[in-house]
Amino acid sequence: MTEFLTAAVGFILAMLALGLVSILRGPGDADRMMAAQLIGTGGIATLLLLGTVANLPAAIDVALTLALLATFASIAFVKKGLSSLEADGSASTETT
Amino acid sequence: MSRVPLLAHGTGDMVWLPIEESNMSGSSGTPDANAGVIAGGFWWSATSRAAWFVCLWLVLAGADPADIPAAAAAVAAATWTSLRLLEPRTARRSVRAIGQLVLLFLYHSVVAGADVARRALDPRLPLRPGFVAYPTRLSSGIRRNVFTTLTSLLPGTVPTGEENGQLVYHCLDVEQPMVAELAAEEAALVRALYND
Amino acid sequence: MSLLRDIITIVAVSAGAFFFLAGTVGLLRFPDTLTRLHALTKADNLGLGLVVLGLLPQAASLRDGFKLVSIWLLGLLAGATVSQLIARAARQGESAR
Repeated sequence: MTEFLTAAVGFILAMLALGLVSILRGPGDADRMMAAQLIGTGGIATLLLLGTVANLPAAIDVALTLALLATFASIAFVKKGLSSLEADGSASTETT
Repeated sequence: MSRVPLLAHGTGDMVWLPIEESNMSGSSGTPDANAGVIAGGFWWSATSRAAWFVCLWLVLAGADPADIPAAAAAVAAATWTSLRLLEPRTARRSVRAIGQLVLLFLYHSVVAGADVARRALDPRLPLRPGFVAYPTRLSSGIRRNVFTTLTSLLPGTVPTGEENGQLVYHCLDVEQPMVAELAAEEAALVRALYND
Repeated sequence: MSLLRDIITIVAVSAGAFFFLAGTVGLLRFPDTLTRLHALTKADNLGLGLVVLGLLPQAASLRDGFKLVSIWLLGLLAGATVSQLIARAARQGESAR
């Protein structure tokens, strides 16, 4: 069982590494943010698996915190992105 | 439901998760039809929410007598925040309908994931993306936001905002009967939580 | 009994890993931002859910099980919320252009 779960951790980490390609490629900020969200979700799964394999209850608490922080990162990104978009929109209506 | 503050444990610190639903619809703080709550109802919902937060604390942080001060502070703050952000309502809630909604939600999550996986792994990449407008009967504000949050888990739909009072969904395949599925989801939600 | 629990774990964690694969492939292959968003939120949350489901039989106590489920619920809620926010931003970005 330990071997299987460790293999699952390795597989999910490989998927996250593939997700890094998408950060590199973009093209937009939203795409990069989605890759970051993917890494957040995958990181939570990895930590949960590791916590069970290595019998580390603390890893599960780390996963809980990561779940919170990944959300905050995305919300902060969208708030900033939306406000800059709104600023662009008002600027363009002023000029026209 | 989505305004539940989360208590991180270990140091007794509180981490809040105020998901600002009002920013998703753009129309904030629409007063609910049932906002006029009698005092007895207020204390009832305060007590029941506090009980839920105690359960959440016990699950996340464990039952340690040394934690009692931190737990009491956290539960009090969580209850206050939830009452402030999500006003108590008098709408009848049916446990059975909530169970049906949860089952429908889980079923849709699985179907949605399988559908996306099939399309992503198909060599021909069968996508017919497009926008679909859905006329909802839910009042704007929290109810509509709960609905969009639920339906973002439906197969092949992501809500992308509102236009002229209609919800605009982005679909992976515009040929699927999206509007009918959305209507079924809305009916289940109304039966479960907003049956007034 | 222990064998049954191990089988549940293996099946569910494998399925979860499969959905992580599908989500990542979708993120890389789908043509535009909004379609990639479908791949990300649905496949990944289902992947996390299945990993949690697979770990439940291995949980040491009932409390650990509830904790795993609450982490999944938080992730699900966050994914559903964030996907709407990103979708709004992406659509407004497209129409602004």
